[in-house]
Amino acid sequence: MIELRNVTKLYGKVIGVNDITLTLADGAYGLLGPNGSGKSTLLNLITGQLRPTLGRVRVLGESPRNNARLFRRLGYCPSGEGLYANVSGYDWVKYLLRLQGWNARDSESSAAENMELVGMADAMHRPISSYSRGMRQRTKLAQALAHNPDFLILDEPFNGLDPVGRHELAVVLRGWLEPGKSLLFASHLLHEIEAITQSFLLICGGRLLAAGTAEDVHAMMEGLPNEIALRCSDAHTLAAMLVRERAADSVSISGDTLTVATKQPGRLYEKLPGWLADSKQEVFEMRSADESLQALFNSLMKMHRGEL
Amino acid sequence: MTGSVLAVLLFEWKRALTLPRMAWWAILAAFPVFIVGLVRFIAMQTPPRELWAGLLFALVPMLVTMLGTLLWATPAISTELERRSWIYLAVRPHGSTAVLLGKYLAAVTWVIPPALLGLSIAVPLAAPKDAWLLWWAMVRLVCLSCPAYAAIYLLLGTLLPRRAMVLAVAYTLLFELVISFIPAVINKVTVQYRLRALWEDWCDIPALGRQATVMALMGDAPPWQHVTILLLLVPALLAVSVAVLRMSEFSSSAESDV
Repeated sequence: MIELRNVTKLYGKVIGVNDITLTLADGAYGLLGPNGSGKSTLLNLITGQLRPTLGRVRVLGESPRNNARLFRRLGYCPSGEGLYANVSGYDWVKYLLRLQGWNARDSESSAAENMELVGMADAMHRPISSYSRGMRQRTKLAQALAHNPDFLILDEPFNGLDPVGRHELAVVLRGWLEPGKSLLFASHLLHEIEAITQSFLLICGGRLLAAGTAEDVHAMMEGLPNEIALRCSDAHTLAAMLVRERAADSVSISGDTLTVATKQPGRLYEKLPGWLADSKQEVFEMRSADESLQALFNSLMKMHRGEL
Repeated sequence: MTGSVLAVLLFEWKRALTLPRMAWWAILAAFPVFIVGLVRFIAMQTPPRELWAGLLFALVPMLVTMLGTLLWATPAISTELERRSWIYLAVRPHGSTAVLLGKYLAAVTWVIPPALLGLSIAVPLAAPKDAWLLWWAMVRLVCLSCPAYAAIYLLLGTLLPRRAMVLAVAYTLLFELVISFIPAVINKVTVQYRLRALWEDWCDIPALGRQATVMALMGDAPPWQHVTILLLLVPALLAVSVAVLRMSEFSSSAESDV
């Protein structure tokens, strides 16, 4: 689906994307990274809006730059809004379908169908200026889906949507994904991506930090400290105990919350209840995101910054 | 591709049917009528035909078409970039080219009607000798100037989208209104020079004769040569605009263009 070979994009002296090499087969992938990490630059390279300063980009086997044949198979929902205020959502989607090369009749039926699919049936003939942010996001998604692309690229598509809206569009996207269809979904929020796919690419500072499934990245993370946060009655005493018992590699205290980093999470989990009982500590809350994507993301960021 | 260009043309026309834009349309049409009416009202005696010919030329093929195309064609790309709607168009097959050409046609078809309407009211109002001849000459000049200016402004807007209007105004003032009046070879690169030569010929202005200064300002090339150059200028400029646009890099992120 996507092949990047040593792709670098420079904006003057600023690096947008830094030497990314990547091959992705058909399927659904999440592109995860904080704001300013290079996600949008990477998507602009993949959609052919930018030329790489160095390296080569291939999408569905072709160079994406000014490639009409590829654009017929590509659906793109950018992160920015960029909608026309005095045009209805239906007219806008129909217009983009006409630009896609569709005839008037097919454009009309597909525009109506896809506006309905994203839950905009009632509002599709209203001017876009009257839409809420969530409705605009739905309309943007409709234009990306309307020409039935083989490869869909979504940049922060759930921005501005309420939880119900996020769930509804996640259902739409999961329904859209069928054999032969591919999706690249960029977001800075893990749960958004997890709602669609378990395969992801993690990008930060223009570099690709990790690629694969959550399990693949877990394997990479072996031997790295896990973080556990405890809100307890006496964080200082508990911290001293964990250091004395050599159960923590580092501790930090903020208010009544003790954050412990350990390379032996199994031993800590095993011994902790006993130690807490012996020291008569009250624990109000214990959080460990170690099994979630968020923990991997945090740890990889720290590795990237040289903090681990 | 043709279908996409027509889709853009229709979409732009539909979007233009708003009160502010229609008001601009009406102002463009009314402007020459108002000025001609004013001259007619305040003139002590009926102005000579040459004055009407000069005034109508300055008002319609020059001012109305220049202003109209400047306002419509110049920001064709920059408005899409500023609104961040460009990306939706650019990821369509031949999308950027279709948008460019569609917007060009929209500008031309939007400016010619008010120019012709204004002309068709202003000429009878002026009631010069050979009014029909004057009207027909101006119609032809409008139909040549409007596509040529629109193509120039479109190219300027494509070359420098961030400063499109500034560049277009600077070009107009410098080239079309100053350099075109310099009696030297350089004035031949302006559209104004060609239009002026055609005006002199088509309006049959005998008073100008074949004086040296007139020759320097209008040349002695036959009309067909000026018409051919103006007609060829349009596809040439559009081709350059398309090429520039295809080479340009516009990102969808907040940086707008790079």
